[in-house]
Amino acid sequence: MTDQIPVTILTGYLGAGKTTLLNRILTENHGKKFAVIINEFGELGVDNDLVVDADEEVFEMNNGCICCTVRGDLIRILSSLMKRRDKFDGIIVETTGLADPAPVAQTFFMDDDVKRATKLDAIVTVVDAKHLLARLADTKEAEEQVAFADLILLNKMDLVSEEEATEVERRIRAINPMVELIRSTKSDAPVSSVIGRDAFNLERILVREPDFLSGEDHHEHDSEVNSVAFEVTRAIDPEKFNTWMTDLLAAKGQDLLRTKGILAYPDEDRRFAFQAVHMIADGDYITPWKDGDARKSKIVFIGRDLNRPQLRRGFEACQVAA
Amino acid sequence: MSQTADPEFLLGQRGTSHELGAWVIGLAFGREGLSLHAGLGDGTVRVAPVANPEWVTVEAHKGAVLSLCADAKDGALSGGDDGRVMRIAPDGTATELAKFGSKWVEHVIAHESGIRAAAVAKAVHVLDAKGEVLKSLAHPSTPGGIAFDAKGKRVAASHYNGASLWFVNAKEDKPRLLEWKGSHASIAIHPEGGHVVTAMQEMSLHGWRLVDGQHMRMSGYPTKTHSLSFTHKGKWLATSGAEAVVLWPFFGGGPMGKAPTELAGGDGVMCTQVACHPLHDMVAAGFEDGLVLLTDINTGRVLPIAPPGHGGISALAWNPKGSHLAFGTETGFVGILDLSAQ
Repeated sequence: MTDQIPVTILTGYLGAGKTTLLNRILTENHGKKFAVIINEFGELGVDNDLVVDADEEVFEMNNGCICCTVRGDLIRILSSLMKRRDKFDGIIVETTGLADPAPVAQTFFMDDDVKRATKLDAIVTVVDAKHLLARLADTKEAEEQVAFADLILLNKMDLVSEEEATEVERRIRAINPMVELIRSTKSDAPVSSVIGRDAFNLERILVREPDFLSGEDHHEHDSEVNSVAFEVTRAIDPEKFNTWMTDLLAAKGQDLLRTKGILAYPDEDRRFAFQAVHMIADGDYITPWKDGDARKSKIVFIGRDLNRPQLRRGFEACQVAA
Repeated sequence: MSQTADPEFLLGQRGTSHELGAWVIGLAFGREGLSLHAGLGDGTVRVAPVANPEWVTVEAHKGAVLSLCADAKDGALSGGDDGRVMRIAPDGTATELAKFGSKWVEHVIAHESGIRAAAVAKAVHVLDAKGEVLKSLAHPSTPGGIAFDAKGKRVAASHYNGASLWFVNAKEDKPRLLEWKGSHASIAIHPEGGHVVTAMQEMSLHGWRLVDGQHMRMSGYPTKTHSLSFTHKGKWLATSGAEAVVLWPFFGGGPMGKAPTELAGGDGVMCTQVACHPLHDMVAAGFEDGLVLLTDINTGRVLPIAPPGHGGISALAWNPKGSHLAFGTETGFVGILDLSAQ
């Protein structure tokens, strides 16, 4: 099998600075070659040899699950790009401002041809520090783009005060406690912080841990999308966990945007990593627990209408008997 | 060019081997019977005389060839990611037939009557013998495949939630919409014109019997089907996507309620390409490890054509007489076989 080519997804509202970031990545002298897939021509041109101009085509999978959507255009384009001789180091997909990131992410889990040739590197969301709060208040897409992000570029910092920036960051963390935040002006983030993050690698799950112990409820009454995080000390029974998670994703998968967990199974030295995008789940053993580590199992949910007590009880009930 | 000397496989006895250096997107023998064309992932089309395969390189497209087919009378047509449709003559002379800006030309097809079609974004453009766009047929989403019927009277395009069937010469362009939920890619029309079949994202096939709109669901594939090929009279539909060549019977009331026949399977390697012989009930099949086999459908007898090892099979083609078979791989290996009586 050949090496899978990493794919970076760039999301963000129109005017937030996506294209500026994209051009910065493409023109900075890093010796890397990228193929770029864009879904709308913005006011700024994209300066690259290989730009693919495509329409976003979101397709429901005909499997009875309405949140199982994929991007048909990406399946076609990525499969074709793999056949070119002049290979590239990475692919960047710039979505439209109104795009839901879920179908993009799900494409990398659902399509075998895409899975064989490429891997999802990270979802990077560029937000406008001045206008994000207004966008969060009036659009569903802005919340989803924040919720799905592995990295958020808090851009246009020159237009806000420190107090305003702190408030925006607090709101972002309430939606997505695992995200890495970088402040920027004119999208001037280091390219190495955006590209090559490998954020969907199970090995790297929960590298950035939310605050499990504070007991702080991230519930925001003015925000529809929230997050909850739990930690338990007794080992997790794999069968109980699978049953619980399968039922939960089947019943609530549409509202659960991203789920991530690290689990300690009984008599198992390796950690079990788990992630899901809506109903599509993926899990495997990763590196062992370190000697002296407290073997605590952790899980984080980002989604809508999260029933915190119910989720907590559900996760706690997956533990082996005391 | 080199001779491969593996006596168990016909390539060693009756074939020539070629390293072309880039992913073989498509292979096509010219209808005039003299030329073989290979469209590659480096944007070139290579042309060779069938009788003496010495290649001419045509710099046809800027990026990659996306689609290649035999042209209406002779030579080949190619579509590329530079938005162009190129005509390649049997001697390798290239002409730009049409250009569609920054959009990809994902599929090209041609019919011996002289008509051609190119799928570009959501449109299928029908071109005349000179390359003029006669009409542009709009679809709800980007077609995953296009096909003419055997007479060249109708063109079918697969897309999201079904396929559209158009009369090429209709005064008013209104398709017959064949509906089925889901995303449809490769498409084929039965040689007698009565059925349309598509390969779906959901790893199954879907078909429509046109006389009464009856649906046909053909499922059970472990991977997506990329290659569909009817036998010459349409008795069988050969398909890729499983560990064997899966053949659906289009006779005796089938394929509805009938089980498919599986041939040449058993070693756990996926079939990636199929091509039925133009005159006999035989099917050539290529696998993801590079193995190529020729199977007689009626007897089940298997002739080994090429051994594994040169990359997954990405293209297969017969010449119109059925005397020559060509295969190509993801690594740019091409084999040409002379199967005529010697």
